[in-house]
Formats: sequence, structure tokens, C-alpha cells
Amino acid sequence: MLPYAPWLVWVAPVISCLFVPLIARLGRRARDYFVVLVSLATAAFALSMIPEVYFNTLSNAESDVAWIPSLGITTGVLIDPLSILFASLISFFSLIIIIYSLGYMAGEEGLTRYYFFMLLFMGSMIGLVMSDNFLQMFIFWEVVGLCSYSLVSFWYKKPEVVKAGSKVFLMTRVGDVCLLGAIALLYASLGSFSFSYTVLHIGEIPLSTLTAIAFLVLGGAVAKSAQLPLQTWLYSAMEAPTSVSALLHGATMVKAGVYLIARFFTLFALFPLVLPMIPFWLSFVAWIGAITALVGATMALYTPDIKGVPAYSTISQIGFMIAALGVASSPYSEGWFAGLFHMISHAFFQGLGFLTIGGIVHALGTRDMRQMGGLRKAMPITFALCLVVLFARTGIPPFASFFSKGLIISSLWSTGNLLLVLTIYAAAAVTFAYTLRFIILTFLRQPSECVKQSHVHEPPKIMLFASSILAILCFVWGFLANSIAQFMQVNVQFGIGEVFSSSTLIFLLILLIGGIPVYLFYYRKPRLMEIVIRSLAPLNIVLEHNYFFDDLYEKVVARGIVKISNGFEYFEDLILSRLPYFAAKGVTALAQSTHKYFDILIDELLYVAANKTVAYSSKLGKTHNESLQRYVVAALLGLLTLIILVIVTMLRVK
Amino acid sequence: MQNTLLLTLLLPALAVPIVYVTGRKSSKAAAILLALIAIADIILLSTTVPYILDPATGYRYVESYSWIPVLNSTFALFVDGVSLSLALITLVLILTASLFSINYMQEKKGLAEYYALLTLLFIGLVGVFITSNLMLFYFCWELMLVPAYFIIGGWGYKEPYRAAFKFFIFTHAGAVFVLLGIGAIFMLTGSLDMFQAQTALMTAQPDIVKWILLSLTAGFAVKMAVVPVHMWLPDAHSEAPAPMSALLSGVIIGAGAYAILRVSLGTVFPAIMATDFAVQFLHGIAVLGVLSAFFGSLIALVENDIKRVIAYSSIAHMGYVLFGLSCFGLSLLFSAPSSQLFQVILAGTVLHLVNHAVSKGLFFLSAGAIMKQLEIRDIREMGGLAGQMPITATSSTIAALSIAGVPPFACFISEFLIFVGAFQVISSDGFYLLPTALMLVATVLSLAYALRYLSHVFLGPRKHEEAKEAPFFMKSAMLILAAFVIILGIYPTFFINLINTLSFV
Repeated sequence: MLPYAPWLVWVAPVISCLFVPLIARLGRRARDYFVVLVSLATAAFALSMIPEVYFNTLSNAESDVAWIPSLGITTGVLIDPLSILFASLISFFSLIIIIYSLGYMAGEEGLTRYYFFMLLFMGSMIGLVMSDNFLQMFIFWEVVGLCSYSLVSFWYKKPEVVKAGSKVFLMTRVGDVCLLGAIALLYASLGSFSFSYTVLHIGEIPLSTLTAIAFLVLGGAVAKSAQLPLQTWLYSAMEAPTSVSALLHGATMVKAGVYLIARFFTLFALFPLVLPMIPFWLSFVAWIGAITALVGATMALYTPDIKGVPAYSTISQIGFMIAALGVASSPYSEGWFAGLFHMISHAFFQGLGFLTIGGIVHALGTRDMRQMGGLRKAMPITFALCLVVLFARTGIPPFASFFSKGLIISSLWSTGNLLLVLTIYAAAAVTFAYTLRFIILTFLRQPSECVKQSHVHEPPKIMLFASSILAILCFVWGFLANSIAQFMQVNVQFGIGEVFSSSTLIFLLILLIGGIPVYLFYYRKPRLMEIVIRSLAPLNIVLEHNYFFDDLYEKVVARGIVKISNGFEYFEDLILSRLPYFAAKGVTALAQSTHKYFDILIDELLYVAANKTVAYSSKLGKTHNESLQRYVVAALLGLLTLIILVIVTMLRVK
Repeated sequence: MQNTLLLTLLLPALAVPIVYVTGRKSSKAAAILLALIAIADIILLSTTVPYILDPATGYRYVESYSWIPVLNSTFALFVDGVSLSLALITLVLILTASLFSINYMQEKKGLAEYYALLTLLFIGLVGVFITSNLMLFYFCWELMLVPAYFIIGGWGYKEPYRAAFKFFIFTHAGAVFVLLGIGAIFMLTGSLDMFQAQTALMTAQPDIVKWILLSLTAGFAVKMAVVPVHMWLPDAHSEAPAPMSALLSGVIIGAGAYAILRVSLGTVFPAIMATDFAVQFLHGIAVLGVLSAFFGSLIALVENDIKRVIAYSSIAHMGYVLFGLSCFGLSLLFSAPSSQLFQVILAGTVLHLVNHAVSKGLFFLSAGAIMKQLEIRDIREMGGLAGQMPITATSSTIAALSIAGVPPFACFISEFLIFVGAFQVISSDGFYLLPTALMLVATVLSLAYALRYLSHVFLGPRKHEEAKEAPFFMKSAMLILAAFVIILGIYPTFFINLINTLSFV
């Protein structure tokens, strides 16, 4: 591998993003070349690490540098098949997207900001998968979310874009907080963030704590990978430029949850029996995946938005991956590999899906598929690429996803849970259905008014170039399946026998169940389609409201929180902030009444006493001569009183 | 150098009249003079770092002076890791606040008095952190208050004197409780030095010490603006001029938290550690912390005045710090200073004070920059400012995201460490499970109000064509703080090394 590759593969893009604004001052060309160069270098670093891992000739798998020594926190890299697999995918895919962006984003304003965040995203995502400790992984996890927010809000002058950006960041934050709890719990139990330390000691954690950690990790993965019930943000994220949607929300960032669960599995490598013992966890993972796969597929079938198809498709396909992980009972097993292998095939076909759609939207100016039709004559190359998407996404051999989906289905079969298998089969059927619908609505049928009026042409060559590379990879990747299995050190073999087997036949049959109705209704008899839709009114309503998740989050949760906040604010304004004034009023009232009743009263008393004394003494002065007798009587009376008092006292003392 | 700390306090003290006289000639010169004094103090304090990191001195740097020889009284100035971190960040904030004031206060009158008052405030702000004599501590505590009253009242916004008066009465009432506590300590132990008092209180009656602890903490909590004694903060911080808001929200409420750490937990708490009351007290302040975090975050979510959003956010963050202090108190009870729990929670809490100071300072300064450009304060009437004032927008975004706890900005790592410490505490005391879970929820809320602020102010369609970028000194002040926010987020090690030298032995 290239020198310092494990470090440079993420440090280089992260540091380079800081230079983008500086180099942009030299001109647009300089900036574009710089970004492409950095992406190329990053991809080179990542790919250079593959041979050593493949042939198992690594000298050291981990290296770290002290970051906060007094707390034992380090920054480090981990080189193992999982991290290199992801790192290669991310860097290579980012390179393709950057090349695509040169054509797609040409002429937009604010491109310096765009490339800044694209490079930062590239570095952070790679840093996420290359981390060797949880804290570092979490930091990159959050930075990736920040980049997602910034890139989704790229066209920030539009209010709906701003709202979408905030929604994306907030919903993924809920997952981030769950992951934070999991990591803190892990540290509290073990005293270290490091993966290698955790692998050695995870069996020591009591099962109750481990259950909490496992479910919190699942929470983090569900939010980041847009699984039920936190899947609504992914469609909102389609406000982003298509290149961003392809990179972040199609190929890399949403896979972070898959990476997290796969990595979590590998922590149990030395304690393989512990993972299945965590109550309910594996079945939760499997069912969340399966249900999301079906629900996502149905939403893709319903949406009129051309960008909605790959968005919901991503949700659905990641559901396939998560389901596969859920039926794996240990790391490096069949299900574990199935999920990861499908992840890469999905990156290729979904990326291709996004990129081709970018060209279509660019040409027509609308995202509504109902206004499209008959594009196959005007954009033949795009049509061909979308056919590749159809075959790749559905899983027709020899495309890679045939093998990956086949592996997923066979690992699901091995659990014996028929309901799970049926759900996945249904999802697969609907997958074929919605992709076929997309092709019919967009390319087949008669050309619509909108198409006839717009000057429709193929996208610029550079965009076609990027898309074609992905198309070739979709095709070629299937032949590399065995090599990938060996790379991941998994004991799985693919062969020609897979293609011509009974399970393939069942699969194709199920696809036809999904595909034929779509073909009939959308292509042959569209009027009949409308009648059918009207008759299925309740289902229609559910689908139209996206299974009411958006309503739940926006109307119930968000408004509820705002109402509580308003309540607090009302309480604060009415009572709390007035308390000091009540206190002040009380004190002032006390002071005034003291002044009134006390001060003035005492003044009055003194005055009265003084007057009385004067009056009395003047009165006394007047009666001086005539009252000698009175004085004698008074004295005798006083003496008498005194004698009586003394006698009484003496009697009492006895 | 022998008199470093004394010089640190004397420099601003002697400079007050000089700043005033300079201010009458040129306010810009006065501001620059103040900034230079701040830089000089930073350099002076930095020379004590080797002493603090050296175990031989007990991780402290102490200077002792005799005050009134007839009464045999001395006073001591000291710094240890925690004091130094907070003092250094205070100086950075004073520096940037004075630079910011050059442009911000340009059209206002009486600037000589303004800068002189700022210098007086300077003495109080730094003095609180570098003294171990309780009387001097109280003097500086009140010295933080009086110039602030005049600055808010004289150069504030709507009804400034009302807000200033509320601020004054409230915090002064709190200070009375502090004085009661200090007086009680003096009566029980005959000493006004924090360290001597700590040893002496160990032999006092726990019942009385309990009340001293409550009285002191109540007084400090008022300054720290936690629920239910937070009422002064929204008005004071939003009606004050922006540089003053930055200092108020960054430093002064941090001083309250520092006081709880140093005086309540450091001096008085060790005496009652063996009683049941200790745990009840810690649980109580944990509950208040969680309450403040929620209260502040929720109201910040619906406030529409640009500065009140930030003010309530300060209440929320002081809730985090109070929660961290509670966990720290628990670590005092259940573990040794060298243990990981102690190190982590201490680092988290004090680092959060440091990080919050710079982030909040930056937040208020950028809000001030916006208010100076547009005469409006309601965020619903703003929009699309990102393209018109890019540097202010970037600084404000950095500040808002730091406050929300997003890496790679400062407040992330400190909040994370507080959570890690809290989870470790749960294994010793199960009471903390619910508060910690609630604090995690509050973290989502803090991102919500941060994003709402950014969406309303900077994103969306342009509503005010006349807004343009902030002038030079305002920009530089904001950029200095933004740099600190980023550097502290990526490399907190310097401060953590300083902070972790703390021991209450």
C-alpha cells in the first residue's frame, strides 16, 4: 500500500477541504482540478490497501496516536476487510460523483461551498469506517450528518429546501443520540473506546447492559440508514442536488447504519454465542429490515416523483441488507456477508439510477413522471442505462445483485421463518414492479406534451461517462463475487449452479407476479389502472400519506413539542418572570404600610403624648389652690389601697 | 515571577483611570488599551502553567500576602488547573468583547465611561478565579455585578434600567446568601481561606455545615441562572449591548458554576461527605440541572427575539453544567481522584464551561453584528442573510452548531465527556438513569433550536437588501472566537491536562 495510506485516505480530504475556498480564489478551473485531484488521490490510497488485506500480508492492522492522553483517548485507524471494503467504495464512488458534478453542477453559484462539503464528507465518511475506536467513529458519524445538512440545504434560498435540511439533520440526530448512549454505556462498562479492547472483553458485560447497548446501536443505525420508523427524512433529502443524493443518500451515508451493525457483529468475534442471546435483538433487526423493504418498495410504486423512486428504493434495498444482517447469527457468516455484498451492488445500481435521473430532470425541468413519456427516442443512451438499472436492481443474472439478493434470500430461508421469507419475496416482486413502472412512465408510452415542448437531449458527455462507469461495474461486479467473499474472509461460494437452480426459477416467477400487472396496467391499459386505484381507495390514502409517518412526526411529535414549549413560555411570562415583581410589590407594600402605620403612628403617639402632658400640666396648674382637701383625700385613698395590697399579699404568701 | 497574580489584578485596577482619560480622547484607543491589558494578563497567567503541571507544588501556584498586619490577616491568590483555564478563557472573551465594541458602540455616547466600566468588570471577572480568600472572592463577585448594572442600563436596548435593576436585585439577593455562608464559615472556623476552611470544617457539626452548603449553593445558583432562579437572565442578556451579553453569558454565569465547584463542592462539601444529606443534595442539583436544560431548550425553541433565543440557550447549558457538577460530586463520594470516572467527569464539566464561554460569546457577538445591520430583532422577519454577510453567517453557524453539540466544534467533546461520566455514575447510583436519558433527549432539542435560528436568520429568501458584512473589528473579534471554538473542538488536550490536575485533598 501507499505510504501512510490508512491515515492519508481520510486526513487528506478533510484537510484539503479547508483549502478549497483559498484555491477557489485562483479561479473555477483551479478549484475543480484541485477537487478532482484530491478525490483521485484518496481513491488511490484506499485501493492501494486492498492487496495487502486480500493476501493477508498486513504488517499491523491498527495504529493510533494519543489525542487526550489523560483520559486514554486516542485517534487511530483500523485496517480490516470491513473497513477497507467500505473505504474503497466510498472513495471510488466519491470520485465518480465529483466527475459527474463537474457537468451537472456547472454554472451553479456557491460551488465553492459545495466542493468544500463534498470533500469534508468524503474524508469524514472514510474516517468513520477507518476508525479504530467508538469516539472517533461517533465524531465522524456526526460530521457526516452535518455535511448532509449542508449539502441538502445547498439551494438554501428556497424555503422548502431549508425545511428539508433541518428535518434531515434532526431526524438523524435522534439516532445519533441513541448511538451516543450506546457508546457511553460501553465505555462505562469497559473503560475504553477502542474496538480491539472491546473485542477482547465484550463477554464480560452483563446481559442487561448489553441489551441496552444493542438496542441503542440499532436505534442509531435505523435513523442513519432511514429504516422504519425513522425513514421519512430520506425522501425530504431529495431536495438536494442529484449528485448529492446519489453520493450521500444512495451510496454512502445511508450505509453508515449497515456498517455500524456489521461492525457491532464483529465485536462478538471472540464471543460468538453472546450475540444471539440478547433477547429479541436479532429478530428486531431482521423484521425491521424486512418490513422496511416491503414498505419502501410500495412507496416507490406509488410516488409520482421521479426522484422518489430511487429514494424509496434505497430505503427498501437497505431493508434487504438489514434483514440479511438480522438473520446472521455471527460475524463472517453467510447473512453478514450477504448484507455487505448487496450494499456494494446497491451502490452501483442506485447510484446509476440517481445519475441518469439527474440528466432527465435537467433536460425536462420537471420531476413529475406523469408528465413524462416517450423519452426513449430522444435520450437513447439514458434509456439503455436505465435498462441496466432495471436488471441490476431487480436482480437478474449476471448482474451482481442477483447473487447478493439470492444470498440474502437463501440465508433467510435457513432461519425457517416463512413469513420473513414471504415478506422479502413480496418486496422483490414490488421492486421489479416499481422499476418497470418508472421505465414505462418515463421512456415508453407516447411522448407527452412536456416532452414535446422541451428541447430534450442527452446530458453532457462527462455525466454520461460517470454513469457508464457505474453501469459497467453493475455488470462486471457479479463476476467478482467469489473474490469479494474471499476478501471478506467469508466462507461462501458462488457458481454457475446458482444461475440455473430451482431457487432462481422461483425468484423469476415471483418477479413476474409483480411485473406483469404493472406492464398491463401502465403500458397497455392505463384507464383500467385508474379504476383499480379508485377501487382500492383506503390503500390509496395510506400510500398517499406515506403510511402516515410524516403526519405522525410533523403533526403529533413536532407540534406537540412546540405546544409544550409554548406552555413553558406562557408559564414563564405569566408567573415566573413576574415573581420578582410580586416580591418587589410585596416589599414595597410592606414598606409603605410600615411607614403609614408605624412611623406615622409613633409620630402621632409622641405628639398626642406631648400634647396631653402639656394640657394636663396646665390643668394641674389651675387647680392648685382649691384642692387641698382633694389632695388629702387622694393621699388617704392611696394609703388605704397600699394597706389593702399589703394585707392581701401577706395573706397570699401564707 | 513572584507577583504574577497580583500584577494580573493590579494591571486592570490601575488602568481604570487611564482607560477613562484615553477614552475621552478616542474610544478606539481605549478599547485597544483594554485589549492589550487582556493580552498582557494572558501572558502573565500563562507563566504559571509549569507550576500547575508540576506535582511537587501540589498542582497549584500560590501567592500569599499580608493584608492588615495588626489583625494578622493575610490573603492568598492562587491558580490551579481549573482556575487557570477559566481565567484564560475569560481574558480571551474580554479581549474580543473590547475589540467588538470598537465598531459596535461607535454611535453611542459616553464611551469613556463604558470602557472604564469594562475595565472595572475585568478586575472582578478575573479576580473571582484567582483568589482563595473568601472575602476577596466575595468582593470580586460583587465587582462583577455593579459595572454590569451600569453598562446594561446605560447602553442597553428597550427599558434597559428595568432589566439592569432586575439583574442587580436578583444577583445581589443571591450574593446575600453567599455572604451568609461565608460569614458562617468564618464563625465556625475562624479562617477566610478556602483551603484552611476546608480542613477546619471537617471537624465542625454536620448539621450547620449542611445549611452553609445550601446557602452558598443557592447564592451561586442565582448567578448561574438555573431554574427556578433564572428569571433575571433573559431580560439582562437580551437588553444588554452585545459585547456585554457575551461577557454575561460566557463568563459571569460560568463564574457561578465555578463557585459551586470551588466553594460548595471543594470547600464545604468534603465535610459532610459521610452523611446521607450529601447524596440528597447531589440528587437535588441533578434534578435542577435537568429541569434547566429542558426549560431552556424548550423555550429557546419558540422564542422569536434573536437575543432571547440565545439567552434561554444559556440557561439550558448551565443545566448541563449543573448536571455535570452533580455527577462530579458523586464521583467525589464514590471514587478516588485518580480514577477514570473522576477524571472524565471533571474534564467534561469544566471544559464545558470553557467551551460554552467561547461558543456563547461568539453566538452573542454574531447576533449583535446582525442587530447592528438590521434594526429588527424578530427572527421571523429576517432571512437569507447568508449570502449578504458570509463571515457573520459562518461565525454564527459555527457558534450555533457548537451550542448544539455537533463535532468538530468545541461543545461536542465536553458534552460527550459529561455523558460518559454520567453513564459511569449510573453504575454507582441508579438514580441517575432517568436524568441522563432526559439529558440525551435535551441534546436533540438543542439542535432543534439551533437549526431553527439558522433557518430563520440566514437561510431562506432574502428579505432585507440593505444588510452587508460587519466592519473590521467586529469581524476580527468573531473570527478569533470562531478559531477558538474550532481549535478547542479538535484539540482540547491542553485544557484537559490543566483541568485534570485538580484535587480536593
